[in-house]
This record gives sequence, C-alpha cells and structure tokens, in this order.
Amino acid sequence: MSGARGLESAKAWLIMLPSLILMTFFVWEPLFESVRMSLYKTRNVELVRFIGLENYLSVMKKDDFLQALTNTFSYTFWSLLIGFLLPIVLAILIGETRRGKGFFRTVAYLPNMLPGLAVVILWSSFFSGGPTGVLNILLSTFGIPPQTYLTRADWVIPIIILIATWKGAGATALIYMASIAGISPELYEAATIDGANVGQRIFHILLPAIRKLTGTLLILQIISVFQIMYEPMVLTKGGPDNASLSLMQLMWQYAFGGSMNYGKASAVAVIVTIILLLMTAVYSYFNRRESDWE
Amino acid sequence: MNRFIKLVSLLLALCLVLAAVPFAYAEDEVIDAELTCTITLGNWPPDTAADAEKALFEGYRATMARQYPNVTLVPDYYSYSLSNYVPMAKGHTAPSIFQPPFTDPQLLISQGLVGDVTDALEQFGVLDQFSPSYVEMLADENGRIYGLPRDGYVLGMHINIDLFREAGLMTEDGLPMYPRTLQEMAEYGQIIREKTGKAGLVFPASETYGGWLFTNIAWNFGCVGENALEYQDEDGRWVCNFTSPECVAAMEFIRDLKWKYDILNADATTTDWAGAHSLLGTGEAAMNFAADDSVDQPTANKGLPVDSFALIPFPAGPEGRYALAGGTCYMFSPDITGDQAIALMAYLKVLGKLPFLDDEIIAGMRADYAAKRDRGAPVLPAISAWTDESYNAAKQAIIDEYCNVDMRLYNDFFDSISEGTITLKSEEPIFAQQLYRELTAVVQRVITREGADVTKALLKAEESFQEYLDDEYNDQ
Repeated sequence: MSGARGLESAKAWLIMLPSLILMTFFVWEPLFESVRMSLYKTRNVELVRFIGLENYLSVMKKDDFLQALTNTFSYTFWSLLIGFLLPIVLAILIGETRRGKGFFRTVAYLPNMLPGLAVVILWSSFFSGGPTGVLNILLSTFGIPPQTYLTRADWVIPIIILIATWKGAGATALIYMASIAGISPELYEAATIDGANVGQRIFHILLPAIRKLTGTLLILQIISVFQIMYEPMVLTKGGPDNASLSLMQLMWQYAFGGSMNYGKASAVAVIVTIILLLMTAVYSYFNRRESDWE
Repeated sequence: MNRFIKLVSLLLALCLVLAAVPFAYAEDEVIDAELTCTITLGNWPPDTAADAEKALFEGYRATMARQYPNVTLVPDYYSYSLSNYVPMAKGHTAPSIFQPPFTDPQLLISQGLVGDVTDALEQFGVLDQFSPSYVEMLADENGRIYGLPRDGYVLGMHINIDLFREAGLMTEDGLPMYPRTLQEMAEYGQIIREKTGKAGLVFPASETYGGWLFTNIAWNFGCVGENALEYQDEDGRWVCNFTSPECVAAMEFIRDLKWKYDILNADATTTDWAGAHSLLGTGEAAMNFAADDSVDQPTANKGLPVDSFALIPFPAGPEGRYALAGGTCYMFSPDITGDQAIALMAYLKVLGKLPFLDDEIIAGMRADYAAKRDRGAPVLPAISAWTDESYNAAKQAIIDEYCNVDMRLYNDFFDSISEGTITLKSEEPIFAQQLYRELTAVVQRVITREGADVTKALLKAEESFQEYLDDEYNDQ
C-alpha cells in the first residue's frame, strides 16, 4: 500500500518537476537575487559589500520616491474610478445585446490585441498639444482653442489611466461575460416571473453572482496598475516635473537611467512587492472573513 | 652559349617578375595576414537601411577581407543604450565595437565595462593625435584609452527658413535674420509665433534633454568657473551649485520663454530629441537647439529642403557665448584581446575614422558624402577630433566637392568655431546624465506652472543631486 502511495507521490513530483524548475529559475531565484541585491552596495550588477537597509533608507528619503509613491497610488485610485466598473458595465451591456453580440465582443476586445506601445503612441497623437493634436482638431470644430494635455500635472495620470483602460477594459469584460454566462438562466426566469425589472435582476442576481470574481479582478487590477511603467515612460517620460513618475519607472531610472545603481533599483522593486503583498493580504483577510460569515 | 645566356637571362627576369608580383600584392593589399581573430561590429546597417549605406559597409568589409584576410568580421545590428549595454557586457555578449554618446564613456570606464585599446593605438601611431579634450573624455586617470571619437559635434541652432520668411525676418540678401543672442531669440520667436502661429522655439524638455540644453544656456548666463553647475572643492569632493544668481537667472529666462514670450512648442515636456527635429522639419517650429551632426534629421529624414534650412551658432547670453562640444565615440567590449584591439583599429582605419587617408578611405568618404547628398542631407564641413592638419585639409577638400548647400547659411556657425568667437565647452564633468535629469525636472516645473518658485525648485534639485554626488562619489 505504502509502495503504491510512494509511486503515486513520485509521479506527482515528476509531473510538477518542469513547473518547479521553471519557477525556481525564472521566478524565485530572480526574486531572491533582487532582495539580496537590495541589501548590497552594487557596482553595476556586482555586489560590492553588504550595507543592510542603507539602499532602502537612501531611496525613501528622496523627494522623487515620495512623489512616485503618491503617483502610484494616484494611478491606482484613477484606475479603480475609471477602469474598474467599466468592464462590468461593458459585460452587462454586451450580455444584454440581442443582435451582433459577437461583433460587440470582438470590438470590445480589439484594443487589447494592439501592441501596448502602439496604443500609447496612437493616443499621444490624440492628446498632442498644439493645433495638430487630434483632440484639438475635434475641439476646434466647436471653436475651442488648442489645449495642452500631457504637460498638465493634474491631468496626466487620469489621461494615462484612460488610455490603459481603453486598452484593457475589453479583455476584463470578456472574463466577466464568461462568469455571467455561467449564471443559471432559471434564476433570471424566476425573477422575471416575480416581476423583477432589469435593474433588480442586475443588482440581486448578476452582481452577487460575480462578486467573488470581482474581488479577484480588483486585486489583480491593483497589482497590475501598481506596476505601471511603459505607458508613462513612453507618453510623458514621467513628467511634467515627475507628475506621472511611477514607482516602477523610478526603479528603471535607478537601474538604467544613467546611474546603474542596481542596489537601489532592487530596493524600490522590493518596496513595491511588499506594498502589493500587504494589499493582497488585507484583501484576503476581509475576503476570508466574509466567507466565514457566509 | 649565346643562346644559353639568353635563356638564363630570360629565366632570371621571369623569376624577378614572379617574385615582384606577390611582393607588390602584399604591399598594396594584405597588411597583416598573421592577425587572426573575430570581431563583432555593432551599428552595422540593418536590412532596412538605404542600399547606399549597406553597400558602403559591404565595401568596408571587402577592404578588411583584403587587408586582414584572417580577421573575421561579424556584423551586429546592436545599437547602444546604457540599459541594454550593461547586461551584455556583464554577460560577455557585447559586440566588440559599439557607439555610445560622449556622456557615457567615463561611467563605463569607471565601471570596468569597456576594453582598453591604448597599445593598439600606439601600434598605429595615432595615440598622440587626438584632440586633448577627447583624450580627457575617453581615458581613465592613468591615461589608458578606452574609446575613439566617431564624430565631434558643436551645439548650435537649426533654423526653418520658411517660417522666418513668413514672419518677415529676412535680410535684403535673402538670408534669415537669425538671433545672435538669447534675448533676440526670445523676441524673434515671439514675432514668429504672432505672424505664423507656429512655435518660435522647440524645446525638448523630456527625460534629460531639458537639463542638457539648459546647461548650455546656463553657461551663457555665467554658470562657469566659480559659478559652475558642479565643481570639485579643495578636498576633492564634488559639489553642485544650482542656486547661484546666474543659474537662477538662466532658469527664469526659460520660464519667460514660456510665460512671457510664449515661444515654446505646446508639448515641450514630452518632446524628445527626435520629436524636436520633427517639429522643425515639418514646419511646426522655427528654431531648435541642435548640432551640426544632426542636420540630416529635419532635412533628409523629415523632408525640409536643404535650402530652407540653416545652422547658426548658439546664441550668446548676458555673460558669455559658449557652445557644448561633444559627440559620439567608438568603444569596445571589455572582453577584447590584444589581437582584436588591433583588428578593431584596422577596421576604424578602413572606415576613415583614424587620421589616415589612402585611396580606399577616400573612396569610402566620397561614397559617404554622395549618399548623404542623395538623401537630401546637407554635406557640411566636419569638425575634426584629430589634430593632424594635413589630414584635416585633405578631408575638407573632398567635402567641398560634395557640398550641396549655400554655405552662407552655415558659415557663421563654422566661423564662430574656427575664429574662436564662441567658446567650446564639454559636458559637465561628472554624472552628467543625472545632473540633466535633475535640471530637466526644474525646467518642466517652470514651464508648466506659471507661479513656480524658481529658486526653491533649483534648491530642491541641488539637494537631490548633491546627495547623489555624495552617494556615488564623495562618500566612496
């Protein structure tokens, strides 16, 4: 009996082995190295000497770190405000569509198929200041003079989030649609027989049914937006005056922006990881408590 | 007997001829058949490059194959950036030769990420012919050389003549009435804005560009010598100084360009070097701070005809007339061997980048200038990084043959350099990129917030950069 169990166990390990090897080399080892590097004085990628938390203290006392941290939370806030509900609304609208559902589904997903950099460059033309910007051309038909958009510190983060949402909302909507499709039609029928209108069906059947998924996608969205980098890097280079600088961009600047300080870059990366772990833990805690109540 | 003597004489003559032919071949073609190695060549033109450019490099390869038959050349399309180079150097996969800008050599040298070619240069007899300022940029503290200048450049200003003409800023000779001073630049820019609706000046202020251009303006406001943006104190510590009255005045001038004269392009904080050239080339801006090595950008690349384009000296400020001198250099993988270093110098000689002229090199130069002319790029006098006068004169004579522009639109620029009416100055000596980044943030602040406190913003940048200097140098 125990021999058979041992064989089963060996088989299980064998099945897992490729994944374990890949995870070890491509996930855990780099993670470990990053943490290790953050505790060292570095000379490009070489570790020179152990300096404890000095990199962390040095990074955190600089104004640009505080600015990048605030900006990153701002990105998250705006992404939740602009981009969290939109996929749910899209999913419901497409789900309720009687004709051309496939067409609308494809159209909604289309931006996600475009390369990220192409999307950013496309939108940079749209928001370009001066008379040749697409938005300014549109506004000029209403007699509104050319405006600047990406050079305004207050506008730049919402604009970047708008672009990211345009690209990503369709894909998230598809996930919601798949979940919505799994809701038993009998529930809707019963509700309709009981006289529930569309709004009541949404609030009392659909939204509770996708609540778990919503929670998961919420945390995934926060994790994703917290690591925002290429959009501000291409669109604004973190400007104006660091107004769109994200933590990941700050990390890139330490590593590749001229100083090659990989120790400090790793420190920023570890700080981002810790913040995300904390946020995920908080979410998991409340999620578990809620499950316990149920 | 007579017949025998004739036969012997004939045989001797034949032997002499046969002996002489390989000798001549060896002298003219094969320079070193013993040198055996492989070199990988970064910045090789990609398949999408112009046919003329590809043919030019294939010609270089053929010449190398004749002169150094046992040196294998491996084309590599690698284009340098600091971020992609470091992992390659550490992973021993960097190409044997690559082309960084002059802001990076000292950093790469100090980090041990580039190869030493001093001995190879000595072997070629050119070690003492560098312009001293270039030696300073490309050597370590022991005088060992790690790079060679590719092109020197001097920062000036590109002019879109069409917009000057539209604004009525032309002389009776049909030449643009260009600004001699920064103050005139602001005033002319204002006229252009009013008369054409286009930006008077494109000011790329993204990433590090804003700080880079600001340093030159700051020099002209007096940020040199004891007011320099960074200097070494008596203890050898590097100190930055962004809050001198001169630096504050320079930054206030930048603020005025936006809020008083309103001559800047709309999205200055997101405009980069390429974007600036694009705006000038497409007629969206009239002036752009740019150098002689990028005259092909607004013209050949963006379609501005060469007769609508002028290059003028960097406008003078209230305290001086300086122009940034820099360029691109060749540097080498840290893994190169002695033989590879010699092969690389031979390759650069074939490219005409060492101060030698022979038929092959002259043919290469002619092909290069002809390609430029065919693309619609101005063919201009070159600013040499070598001190060899005969070499420089010979090179100029070839350039003159291919010159495709009205030199009246360029003479002031080149004369200001040769006559010394403008002072050439290399980039700030230490951690220039980081300095530019800090100053770019200030530039961005003052051109996006009308009420920005210039002194306070500069003080913040100064503290931040000083901390950086302390971390990276002073406290090491």
